Amino acid sequence: MATSDASGIAELVGRLLVPLCAASGALVLAGFFFPTLVGDAVTGPAWLTIALVFFSSGLCYIALLPYSEDNAEPAAADVLLRVRRTDIRQAVRGFLTQHEPAILAFPVLVFAAFFGLQIAFPARTTSAVDAAAATVLRDAGPLFLAAVFLSVCYCLVLLLGPWGDIKLGGPDTEPSYTYPTYFTLVFTAGIAAGLVFWGPTEALFHYDQPPPYVGTAPQSPGAVTGALTYTLFHWGLSAWSAYAVIGVPIAYFAFTRDAPLRVSTVLAPVLGVDGLDSVWATLVDILAVFATIGGIATSVALVSEQFLAGINYQWDVAAGDIGPVLFVGGLTLIFVVSSVTGIHRGIRRIAGLNVVLFGLFALLIVAVGPRSFIISRGTQAIGVYVLEFVPLSLHTGGEWVAEWTVWNWSWWFSWAPFAGLFVAALSRGRRVRTVVFTTVVATSAATMVWFLLLGGTSLFVQRTGQADILAVIAQRGGSEAVAGFPLFASLPLGQLLMFLFLALIVVFITTSADTSTLVVSVLATRRGFAPSVTHIAFWGVFQGAVAVSVLLLGGAETLQALAVLTGGPFAVISLVAAGGLTVTWYRDERGHTSVVRRVLDRLPHVQTHHDVDPPDEK
Amino acid sequence: MANAPEDSTDKALEDVFYPADRVPFVDWDEFSGAKPTVVLTGVVTFLAFVTGLSNLSQTPLVLDGPLSAAVDLPLAFVRFGGVLFAFVLGLVTVGLQRRKRLAWRVASVVFLGLVLLPLATFQPTDIPLLVLTLVTYPLLVRNRHRFDQSLGLSPIQIASLSAIFGVVLYGTVGAYGLRGQFLELDSWGDAVYYVIVTIATVGYGDITPMTAEARWFSLSIILFGTGAFTVAVGALIGPAIESRMATAFGVMTASELTLLEDHIVVLGYGDVTASLLEELGDETEVVVVTPDEETVASLQGEGVNLLTGDPTDEGILRDARVGTASGVVVGSNDDARDVLAVIATKNVNPDIRIVAAATDEKHVEKFRTVGADEVINPRSIGGRLLGQSVLGGGQTESLLDGRGPRDEAGGTDDSE
Repeated sequence: MATSDASGIAELVGRLLVPLCAASGALVLAGFFFPTLVGDAVTGPAWLTIALVFFSSGLCYIALLPYSEDNAEPAAADVLLRVRRTDIRQAVRGFLTQHEPAILAFPVLVFAAFFGLQIAFPARTTSAVDAAAATVLRDAGPLFLAAVFLSVCYCLVLLLGPWGDIKLGGPDTEPSYTYPTYFTLVFTAGIAAGLVFWGPTEALFHYDQPPPYVGTAPQSPGAVTGALTYTLFHWGLSAWSAYAVIGVPIAYFAFTRDAPLRVSTVLAPVLGVDGLDSVWATLVDILAVFATIGGIATSVALVSEQFLAGINYQWDVAAGDIGPVLFVGGLTLIFVVSSVTGIHRGIRRIAGLNVVLFGLFALLIVAVGPRSFIISRGTQAIGVYVLEFVPLSLHTGGEWVAEWTVWNWSWWFSWAPFAGLFVAALSRGRRVRTVVFTTVVATSAATMVWFLLLGGTSLFVQRTGQADILAVIAQRGGSEAVAGFPLFASLPLGQLLMFLFLALIVVFITTSADTSTLVVSVLATRRGFAPSVTHIAFWGVFQGAVAVSVLLLGGAETLQALAVLTGGPFAVISLVAAGGLTVTWYRDERGHTSVVRRVLDRLPHVQTHHDVDPPDEK
Repeated sequence: MANAPEDSTDKALEDVFYPADRVPFVDWDEFSGAKPTVVLTGVVTFLAFVTGLSNLSQTPLVLDGPLSAAVDLPLAFVRFGGVLFAFVLGLVTVGLQRRKRLAWRVASVVFLGLVLLPLATFQPTDIPLLVLTLVTYPLLVRNRHRFDQSLGLSPIQIASLSAIFGVVLYGTVGAYGLRGQFLELDSWGDAVYYVIVTIATVGYGDITPMTAEARWFSLSIILFGTGAFTVAVGALIGPAIESRMATAFGVMTASELTLLEDHIVVLGYGDVTASLLEELGDETEVVVVTPDEETVASLQGEGVNLLTGDPTDEGILRDARVGTASGVVVGSNDDARDVLAVIATKNVNPDIRIVAAATDEKHVEKFRTVGADEVINPRSIGGRLLGQSVLGGGQTESLLDGRGPRDEAGGTDDSE
């Protein structure tokens, strides 16, 4: 069977990886512990290569470790024999017959067309897409703001209202993932390395050019709180609620109404479960695949460039033209291996590592950062955020909002199909309240703490003059990629923080890309089939190929703009879905108790009138 | 066993998203037992050594940790501490691996000392050590009950160790007392230095006795000290060599046996045992208990632990650590003795899973009665397979190949 083939190959690869990981690890350790003795003997690019080889082989290895419950894996020799016996033509036919033809063909054609245009008329393509993006972001801005605000409100209703009690998949279903796993997977899938780059930077940008809503003088002491508030706003509850409004309807219809587990299920309340074979549903799935691949591939490409730009800035190691391509190739290998090994092995383990590194980094920042500054300004910012959440959400003023807020919302919505579907898949057996709490409250709490810590530290460093990060950014053409380095250099343990920072970038992009690969291959396989190893590998490599082409041909920003624009349709779809879900639940799900009611029931009855008995509620 | 990849298509979506009933964040059981603690202590040892070397190689050593601000730590401690702690920890790791109580006590003190170093220097290179120490310490505390073996020193070992201690004490106090009669011996440090250099028969000669009294005193240190030193070396290393010899002759020593955990105990050696051992292979540790010394000799070097003794004797079974084993296989050619072995096993550990191979089919029920969880009659299985093979033609070839391993694998898995 294909699975046992895969596990056999995995074992083979694992055996090759161990010496590779051990050798590069020994070198890295030597360089880390004896910088004066060993460090100078090896050149910069060689260090970069060795460190990346060590890191990627280590990640692949932990992904490939067998899961304790998987029994009896075949020996590697068997697999070699079997691979030789497998007919290539048969394999290709099997691969093609299981694909949904439209979903296979459409993204491939669109990306081919895009790259064709990009080669033929680079300038015109870029300007056309940019013009379209600018128009959409400006004119449809209120739509995005409204969609996000309504999503937050809807999540609040689900969290506190009676429908939060609904258990996805019937009362007897037990969740397959323990809560820490659930949180880890949701958190790491839904957010890319952008979090890492923007952590030290976003607040600084808002401090340098205060948003019109805040309206303070640039770089004034008053701009600090406003900058932090806006950063919280852009990465907080509003952003994460986009995933919940897509995820909850899919989960509900998939687990209680036997709808298929795909993005188009979000339209089930409108089309009906039987209507999910229609063109509209396929269109939604195609759009989801396009948005996901476009979004992830461009993120992979851009993050790789930024990663290498940061290294170039800090250690003056030029990666050359081929560097980013090799880097993307390595990343592709990691996330393909991770997604092929499955949620319980690669995806879970790398996600776990991600959260551990994330926590460690945050703790180190707490240890060496300006704690009192962060606490005083952070609490202020949180206070302003809570009090002015509604006006912030509905503030539509001008170019700035279109460039920052609306772009951001559109970006989150373009990720929502795959993250939402993934959330839905993981949420079987959980209550709606838990799902919303995890995907919106817990995750945004983690991100907000991160932005307060890093943003607060960088603002402190900038204000006290320990380092002029803004000057560095300006000198590098406004690139957010370099901001972390002068910041960490001004703190104790700076070198270690930089290494961890770079490791976090790699891990964060991996955890998003492996999930998106899995989700895209689920979407692209025919209804009723599960994606085989070949499918997952194909879509992973396809994403990697798009990323590499973007790097080689240019136009990463253009393609990203294109992918982000798909956030528009999904903003509309999410509103439709939320509306439809409300109607369905209003009709079918009565008799649930809200949290508010439960809390009220717990309160001691101070004065209960004897002749008017309270309604008998459970 | 199908080869075509199409067969995987009917794999339900279930497998993709719900590969297991429960997917925990971390398999705590896998990472929190005594073995991981020992492994982590080993890693801490290694890191302490490397970090110490790194500190040694850095000139000048910067002390800008939070601890240095509060306490004035001697620079020498910070400079050499890592490497010295590593040597102590190396011994401790070996002790922990043998589940020694003393090793645990020393470890819990040394770890505290080890935390001081990174806090004093607070260089990026120190953070891995700090983090790992902080991770290992709770594990060490959590598993404290697992490290319960006493050191088990023999009287001669105790005597020689205390003799060394006594001589060093006597020499130090004496040399300090007689410091006026020694050339260049002025302080307690000089006295310790002189005694150790003398006992180790190095004798640099920079400190020399000047009077007859001091010379006699020095001679006494040399005689008693080197004597005690030699005896201690013999007493400490001798048993190790003995145990090597014993392993070579197929008898496990008590200390080796105490390390066994979650292993499989095979009682008796019969026709099926050879293929059974092959099947168990490297997956788990196996102890074969058999009274037959020739069998023991023939199994030498096969990578199996051997215990020469009577498998129907509860004492021998306790030695084979049936109490902590994950399963027992009873399979000699003598069913009567096997039944006794099952009863003896039940006496030692009533909860353990026992799999018995009945040589004679009519004894299957008897094995069940005395408490075997699973009884297999190899002959009847073989006969049935022969029959299927002759009827089914070539197809049962693969059946035969596949059958054995899968059944066995299932068996061992259940018992874990």
